[in-house]
Amino acid sequence: MKSLFGRRSAIVTVVIAAALILSGCSKSVNDSAGGASGDCGSWAIAMHAWGGYTASAQVVAEVAKQELGCTITQTTLDEGPTTYDAMEAGTIDVVIEDWGGGRWKDWTDRGAVVEAGENGNIGIIGMYVAPWMVEKYPDITDSKNLNKYAALFKTADSGGKGAWFEGPAGYTTIGEKMVAANKLNFKVIFSGSEAALVDGFLNAEKNKTPFIGYAWQPWTLHSKLPTLEAARVNFPANDWSDPAKASGLTDYPSTPLIKLISKKLNDANDPFTSLVKNFKWTNADQNGVAADLEGGMTAEEAAKKWIAANTATVNSWLGK
Amino acid sequence: MKVRKSYLLLASVTVWILLGRLLHGKNTLQIDTYENTSFTSFVGQKALDLRGNRTESPAFIYFFNPIRGAIDGFVQVIRNLIAVPAPNSVIPVIGWLGVVGLIAFAVYATSQWRTALLSVSLLLACGALGMWQFTMDSIAMTLAAVLLSLAVGIPLGIWAGLSDRVLKIVTPFLDLAQILPTLVYMAPIALVFMIGAASATIATMIYSIPIAIRITSHAIRNLNQSPIEAAESMGSTQKQTLTKVQIPMAKQMIVLGINQTVMAAVSFVVVAALIGAPGLGKPVIEALIIRNVGQGFVAGFAVVFLAILLDRSTSAAAKRQDSFIPPTEKQIKIKRITLIVSAVLAVISVFLSRTMLWAAVWPKEVTIAPQVAKVTNNATGWILENLTIFTVGFKDLISYSILNPLESQLSASPWYVTVAMIVALALIIGGVRTAILAFVLAMAIVVSGLWYEAMLTLTQTIVGCLLTMIVGIALGIWTGRNDRAERVLRPFLDAGQTLPAFVYLVPMLGLFGPTRFTAIATGIVYAIPVVVKIVCEGIRAVPHSLVEAATAAGSTTRQIITKVQLPAAKKTILLATNQGLIYVLAVVVIGGFVGAGGLGYLVIVGNSKPELQGKGLIAGAAILLLGVIFDRIMQAGARRSS
Repeated sequence: MKSLFGRRSAIVTVVIAAALILSGCSKSVNDSAGGASGDCGSWAIAMHAWGGYTASAQVVAEVAKQELGCTITQTTLDEGPTTYDAMEAGTIDVVIEDWGGGRWKDWTDRGAVVEAGENGNIGIIGMYVAPWMVEKYPDITDSKNLNKYAALFKTADSGGKGAWFEGPAGYTTIGEKMVAANKLNFKVIFSGSEAALVDGFLNAEKNKTPFIGYAWQPWTLHSKLPTLEAARVNFPANDWSDPAKASGLTDYPSTPLIKLISKKLNDANDPFTSLVKNFKWTNADQNGVAADLEGGMTAEEAAKKWIAANTATVNSWLGK
Repeated sequence: MKVRKSYLLLASVTVWILLGRLLHGKNTLQIDTYENTSFTSFVGQKALDLRGNRTESPAFIYFFNPIRGAIDGFVQVIRNLIAVPAPNSVIPVIGWLGVVGLIAFAVYATSQWRTALLSVSLLLACGALGMWQFTMDSIAMTLAAVLLSLAVGIPLGIWAGLSDRVLKIVTPFLDLAQILPTLVYMAPIALVFMIGAASATIATMIYSIPIAIRITSHAIRNLNQSPIEAAESMGSTQKQTLTKVQIPMAKQMIVLGINQTVMAAVSFVVVAALIGAPGLGKPVIEALIIRNVGQGFVAGFAVVFLAILLDRSTSAAAKRQDSFIPPTEKQIKIKRITLIVSAVLAVISVFLSRTMLWAAVWPKEVTIAPQVAKVTNNATGWILENLTIFTVGFKDLISYSILNPLESQLSASPWYVTVAMIVALALIIGGVRTAILAFVLAMAIVVSGLWYEAMLTLTQTIVGCLLTMIVGIALGIWTGRNDRAERVLRPFLDAGQTLPAFVYLVPMLGLFGPTRFTAIATGIVYAIPVVVKIVCEGIRAVPHSLVEAATAAGSTTRQIITKVQLPAAKKTILLATNQGLIYVLAVVVIGGFVGAGGLGYLVIVGNSKPELQGKGLIAGAAILLLGVIFDRIMQAGARRSS
């Protein structure tokens, strides 16, 4: 039996080898289908996890494919250093939206990553309560009154204080600093994912349970909870001019969102390079596409819909 | 002796609780998440330098980067073959029909037609789930990692099988690799080899090589010695004995090792996506992020199908030789003819898959993914709608009754009190050497500056393990005593072991919200199958004569279980507890993604915030230290109880 086993392995090997040789000789579908054409190269866009990012990245990808004939790969990976490393390694070429406020400095300093301007979206981060609470406790949106309501926010996990649901790990988060600087009786819970926050806000609104969590603009949740923006807690403004002072942070600043490209893409001067550099749209644009995504459209469909409705903007990116 | 030991344990726990109450809140070593100690910022700076050095340092230019390049290239070749468009092409070298044909033929040739049929249906199911390309990517990644693992593992295993010294040197590393939570070594690997297929392959290899080494050396060591002695007495050289006698004799066991290596690599498919592995992990992780339970399950099912496919096809190849009845002339002839026919069919399918578009790219219309996603979404929607009151109630009950008191005991006591407690436990359960080891490791965590977070993770692991053992021992006893129960439960246990924890992390998040308990519950689901299996085997291994004697003496079923079977299986149960702890720990740290905090969150945040990178790396090391402390104490306890 042992020899038979050996022989069968040999047979399998021979047949697979034969199939491979045959496949090498036979005319492939590809020859008739024709590869990607045009003078645009083959590029990789980083796909970060949040809905708004997907909207921007997909629109750029669709325009590049349809109008420029580029070959676009979309790779899902974590934002921040992970992505910058991948850009340095040459596996990622575009980050279409980075909130990180200069965390890429080490990489841009040595020329591995290049800033490609603002993408037109303005990022606003803040702490928001469940919208129903504003009606019931009108003064809750003033941070000075938060401690008065802290007991409402208690959960099994918050150690007797109010539960403060922080944003996902990769996002700009200063919850602990805000709690300390504003002397709040809250415990920061690292909710870990956007999904947890979406759930948190929606369930709180539905069941009229107290909730305070990290939220931002542009974000798809606003289309589901139109009253959310009014539920933003106002903290005393803080001084961002001096980074050293900023450790006593009291609130998030608003951030123009930045595009980053790899050195390779920057040097290539490809049609895709100028598309990415020219890409710019508004929070409303992004929210529209993201809402379609949320509504069950695939990213491709949502992006194509927006592109068809906004030819003028698209043409301006293409320099037409 | 036994009584004294349990009194000692009770006494030290009491002292610990009293001291903890007395000194509550003192010397807890708590620092804010964004804060660095001088040690963590030092490590962070080193890590940043390392990133900067990638293009300059000789270690990178002449060592790491070539390795990365070679592995990346190797993976890419396999991917081009079956998964992604080959260079200058829009389709892979072999399209889906060709892959199905070839796998069917290969499985048929090495085992039976039934296994071949099963393999084909599983492959088609993956395609129908809309996961064809992801599945092929995962197969390519698994294949690359397994081939490389075997290339390293089998020779090393043979060497360790022949030489006691080598075995002694590699064993600690093998032990360490087995308790290493996967989340821990991904960051360091990605730091050196960067995000991508190479890092993912290397991370998978670290997980699967130890298994190849272990089983191969075991196979060589446990051979019947007489043929070897005969060969030696006839004057064979050592090399001849090895290649002509030992390896052929150990072959079947080594094939089993290949099977286990493949399974280890498959179980890594999802986690590897965190460091850029192409394949099924991608949709699973995306589903977690956008909380699409349906999508998570669709991809998760594909992972399970893939695991079953690879398991059955490789284990069938190993088992096939078990039959002692030689095939008749006619059977051989039939097999030969069908083999030729299927070979021809396989070749035709490859040919078609290169010439016809429908056979090259999986037709998008053939899909059941939306239906599957809808059904699971509806089911979870219903569960969330109706059961959340209960699940949240249960979560709160556990949180207030066990989790919070234990957490406050562990994290709000002074560090030296808890270290003393751990050392005392190690001393009582494991003896002096274990105690010294526990002391050194615990102090290392203290020095790292992450003691507070380690205590949070420790709390969750202990609570998770406790609940796991309650369920696991109950089910283990049931399946151990009842064949039918075992048969009914087995498929669920197998599926539970292959379904990636990330898949049910999503519904858990829905059930329990972003809390510590979500991580604990996920850890429990992940650990229960292995605990049940070990306990079940332990109960079955209890000699029948013991049970019969007890029955004859008129014991009730309950008495038999508590007085005979459980005490006799004590060692196995301790080992099961150890496995439970390690498994729960491995998943609890993933809980950082769902609000569990602790060391796992630091690892995750360290990956995405450069200023916390050092802290993340140290947190990974601290998780490992915790794991080793658990493992050493429990192993020593198990050794002593036998």
